[in-house]
Amino acid sequence: MIDELTELSTHIQQMSLKSRGSSIAQRRRRDPRQPAAAWVTTARIGYDTGTAISIVLSTIGCSYARGPHGGCTMCSYLLDGTSTQVSADDLVSQFETAMTKVATTSSPLSVKIYTSGSFLDPAEVPPEARHRILSLIAADDRIVQVILESRPEYVTESVLAEIQKALGTRDVEIGIGLESANDTVRLMCINKGFTLKDFERVVSLARGYGIGTRAYVLIKPPFLTERDALFDAIDTMTTAARLGVTTISVNPVDIQRHTLVESLWNSGQYRPPWLWTVVQALHQARQEIPSNVVIVCDPVAAGKKRGTHNCGKCDKAIVSAIRKFSLSQDVKDLEGFTCDCLMKWEHSLVHEDLSKVPHDHQQ
Amino acid sequence: MGKLMIQRGHDGPARQCTWKRDSLSLSTPQLVGPTTIPDLALVYVTATRDELSKTTSIVVLPSLIENVVPVVTDTTALIVAPTLAGIDGLDSEAARLTLTAQTRLIRQWDVAGEHFAIHVPSSTSLSDFRDIIRTSQELGVRAAVFHLDGSLGPRDLQAVSLRSQLPRNWLTVATGKIQPAFVPVLYYLGFDIIDASYAETAALAHRRLWRMESEVVTSWDTARYCGCHACHDATSEGPIEQTLLLHNMEMFHSLLSEAVHARAHGRLRWLVESLSHTSPSMASFLRLVDKRVFDFIEEFTPTVGSGTVPLIGPESYDAPAIKRWRDRLVARYTPPEGKKIVLLLPCSARKPYSDSRSHRRFIETIENSIGPARHEIAEVILTSPLGVIPRELERIYPIANYDIPVTGDWDAEEIRIAADALVSHMKKFPPDVVVIAHVSGGYAQVVQAAQDGIAQSIIYTIREGSATSREALDSLASTLRDMKEVLALHGGRSTLLEETLRATADFQFGPGAGMLLVPEGTSVSGKLYRRVICRDHGTQLASYLAENGLLSLTLDGGCRLSEHGSYWVRFDGEVLQGGSLFAVAVKDADEKIRPGDEVIILNKSNEVVAVGRSEMSGREMCDFTNGRAVSVRHRRK
Repeated sequence: MIDELTELSTHIQQMSLKSRGSSIAQRRRRDPRQPAAAWVTTARIGYDTGTAISIVLSTIGCSYARGPHGGCTMCSYLLDGTSTQVSADDLVSQFETAMTKVATTSSPLSVKIYTSGSFLDPAEVPPEARHRILSLIAADDRIVQVILESRPEYVTESVLAEIQKALGTRDVEIGIGLESANDTVRLMCINKGFTLKDFERVVSLARGYGIGTRAYVLIKPPFLTERDALFDAIDTMTTAARLGVTTISVNPVDIQRHTLVESLWNSGQYRPPWLWTVVQALHQARQEIPSNVVIVCDPVAAGKKRGTHNCGKCDKAIVSAIRKFSLSQDVKDLEGFTCDCLMKWEHSLVHEDLSKVPHDHQQ
Repeated sequence: MGKLMIQRGHDGPARQCTWKRDSLSLSTPQLVGPTTIPDLALVYVTATRDELSKTTSIVVLPSLIENVVPVVTDTTALIVAPTLAGIDGLDSEAARLTLTAQTRLIRQWDVAGEHFAIHVPSSTSLSDFRDIIRTSQELGVRAAVFHLDGSLGPRDLQAVSLRSQLPRNWLTVATGKIQPAFVPVLYYLGFDIIDASYAETAALAHRRLWRMESEVVTSWDTARYCGCHACHDATSEGPIEQTLLLHNMEMFHSLLSEAVHARAHGRLRWLVESLSHTSPSMASFLRLVDKRVFDFIEEFTPTVGSGTVPLIGPESYDAPAIKRWRDRLVARYTPPEGKKIVLLLPCSARKPYSDSRSHRRFIETIENSIGPARHEIAEVILTSPLGVIPRELERIYPIANYDIPVTGDWDAEEIRIAADALVSHMKKFPPDVVVIAHVSGGYAQVVQAAQDGIAQSIIYTIREGSATSREALDSLASTLRDMKEVLALHGGRSTLLEETLRATADFQFGPGAGMLLVPEGTSVSGKLYRRVICRDHGTQLASYLAENGLLSLTLDGGCRLSEHGSYWVRFDGEVLQGGSLFAVAVKDADEKIRPGDEVIILNKSNEVVAVGRSEMSGREMCDFTNGRAVSVRHRRK
C-alpha cells in the first residue's frame, strides 16, 4: 500500500468509530438466557438437503468492534448483543433454548453458531461455555454438520484440538470473514484488521485438524464502484477456493445502523449491490471454482432498499433463484433472467467508474 | 505536450478551446459519454475493463485499490487518475489523502504528467486543493475531473468552488448526473467537457428529456410531439430505449449548442438565468453560485458589450456585470466639485436615458427654469437592479444596454439594493447639497428607504402620479427656481463634457485616472452622443465614444495613464510588432484587467509601447501560452 492509503486506512478507522458513536454503549440489556435469534432453514448439507438451525448467541459482542479499532465499516451485528458480560451458564441456556426449535426434526441437521462476534474468542464466549456447547452437540447424533464463526486470531491449535476432540468425525467448518482477498480492500475499505496471510494460516491450520473453513465473501465493500465490487467478489471467491476453503458464503452488503456504510448511504455516496452483481459473481465464480467447494448465498434484506436490490420488479424471482442455486450449485438456476433494469445495471457499471456517483440511490 | 489553446470571446468563465496533445486535437466545449452513445466525438472508457475505443477517449483508471498502470494510445485525450468511490462522503482529510495518492502515482508512473487529469472529490477543502494544484502543475498536469451528483446541493456547489481555483489553462471535466438544462450553467462556470451519460440513464428509465423537464414515454401514441429525427422515425416495434437515447442526446447537443451560440453573442448569462427557472434547486444553485464564486465569474465577464442585456428577475440582481457596476460606482466614482443640488430622476426604457422622451423633458424643464446653472446640479438616475447612475456614466455598458420588465412595482430586494446604492452615493456629496427627489412610485419608496442614511435634506417634488406629468414638471421647475435663489446658483459654462470624461476615466481605470487624462485646462470638444476628443496643450490623450461610453487612449494618453499604475500589460520584449499582443509574449499583467478593458502595453523597460483593448482577463494573459491577449490600437513605431 502506498503511504497515503495507509494513512487513509487509519483515517477511515476514525470515521468508522465516529459513525458508531455511542451506539455500543447504549445497547439494551437483554435477557441473558435468550439467544439474540434462532431460525431454521432448509440447507445443503454435504450432498444432501437437510435442516439447518442458525443460532445467534447473545454475547457482549465482537471484541474487535468494541475495541479501539472500531470494527468493520459495514457491520453493527454486535448491536444485537447485550451490554454486559454473559456467563457460561447463560450461554449454555441460550443454546439449549434455541435447540428446542429443532427438537422434533430428523437428521441430517446442521448447526450454525453465530455470536455477532467470534465464538472462539474467550473474552466473548468463556471457554467453559464453549466446552459445554460442543459437548451438547457431540451428544446429538442428528447433527452432522457444525459451523462456528470466528475471527482468525482466535483460531489456535489448542482450540482446534478441542473441537476435533469434541466433534470427532462430524463435518466442522469455521466461518471466517475473509470479505475480500485484496488486502487494501479488507484493511482500508472494511477496516477488518487482518491480512490474507492471517486467513491463509488459519485455513491450513484447520485443515491439519480435519476442520474445514467457510469463507465469508462481502459483495460491495464501501469505496468500490459496482464494477470494482463485482471483480473483487469474483477474485475473492476464486482466491478463497485456491487457498483451500470448503465453503464460500457470499454476503452482499446490507446497510446496518451506526456504521460508516450507513453514513455513506445517507449522504448518497453508497448503494447496496445490485442483485445482478450478486448473480453474475455467483455465476462466474461457480464456473471457475472446483465443485467440491460449495458456494452459498442467503442475502440479508434482499429486495429492500437497505439490502441488495434491483428495480423492485424482478427482485423476488432473483432472490429465490439465488437461494435455489445455493442448494443446487447449478448455474442454470441463475440463468435466463431479464428485466428492464438489467441495462440500467450495465450502464451504471460503466458510468460509475468515471463519475463515482452511485446510480439509482434510494432512501 | 498537452496544452489548452484558447480562442477569442468571453462571457463569464466559459470559453472555446482546443486541447492539443501530439497529433490529437479536441475542440471544447464537448460532451462525453460511454461508447454505447452513438456519434460522440469524445467517449470514456475504463482501462482494463472496457475495450479501448477508436474515438478520442478519456481513459479512466479504475480504483486506487487496483493500481492499474496507465498506457497512452493515439486516441487517448486524457487519463483520469484513480480515486475511490464514495470518498466524497467522507471529510476533507480523506479527500486530501486521495488526491495526494493520485499525485504520487502520477509522479511514479512512466507516463508524463501532461496526460493526466486529477480526479477531484467534492469534499476537498479549498486550501488543500490549492496545494494539490501546485504539486500537479509541477508534474505537468493540466486537467481535472469533478463530480456533480446532480442534487445541486452543497456538494455540487463545492465542486464549482473547487473548479474556480484552477489555473485558466487547465482542461476541466464535469461528470455525474447532469441534466440537459444544467449543461449551459456548467459551461458558463468554465467546464470544458460535460458528461452526457444521463441521456442514457434516462433513456433506460424510459424518460424522454426536454429542455427544462422530462417525460416518461410508455407508448408513442400518448407521447408528446417531437420533431427530432429519432422520435420522428420511431416505430412501436423498435426498441424504445434506443430512440429515447438518440432523442436525449439531441437535447444535450442542442443545449450545448445554444450555450455556445449565446456565449458568442454575449447572452450566456441570460440563458443561464432563464434556465435557472427549470427547478427551484436550479434557481437556488445559481443564486448561491453567484455568492460563492462571484469573483471567479466576474473576473471573466467582459466590461463591454453591444446587444441588449435583459435583466428579468432576481437572478439578475447579482449578475456579475450588474453587481460589478454597483461595486465600481462605490469604489471609483467621485462627484465633480461644486455641485449644490443632487437631482434624483427615474430611469427610462430607452437608453441612454438622455435620448428618452422623459429625460428630454426633464432636461428641458431644468434648462428652462434655471438655465446655465444646470452645471451645479448632479443628475442621478435611480434604476433597478443597478442602483444609482450618475448622468456622466449613462452610456457605459451595461447602463446603456440593460432592459428590465417595468410594472411600476419594486420588490423588497430591488428597493434595498437601490436604497443602499443611494446612501453610499450621497455620502460622497457635501452635507449642504440639497437632494431634489423628482420621483414617484417605487422610485420614491427607494428614496424613503434611504432617507435615514442620507445626511442631506431632501425635497420631494411629486405628490402622486408620473414624473413626466405636467403638474410634476411644473413642480420640479418651481422647486428648481426656488433653489436657484436659496442656494444662489449662478450661470456659467457647461462642464458636462469634462465631467463625463473624468468620471468615465475614473470608472474605467480607477480613482485619479480622470485627473491624469483630463487635467484642469484640457480642451474637450465634441458631442457626447457621438465623440468627444480630449487634448492637453494640443496633444490628444483620449477620445470618448458614445457607442460604448468609454475612453479610448492615444499613445500619449497611455503614457499619462502609466503613472496611475493600473491596466497595464507587460510584454517580454522591447518593440511590439503587429496588431495583436499574444498571451505567449505576456510577462505580467494587472489582475484588474477584464475582457474588453482599455489597457496600456509596457515593454521590458516599462515604457508604454502600445494601447489597445484586452481580449482576456489579466490572469488569463499570464496563464495561457496562446491566444490573443490585446488587440492593439496604437503602437510606437
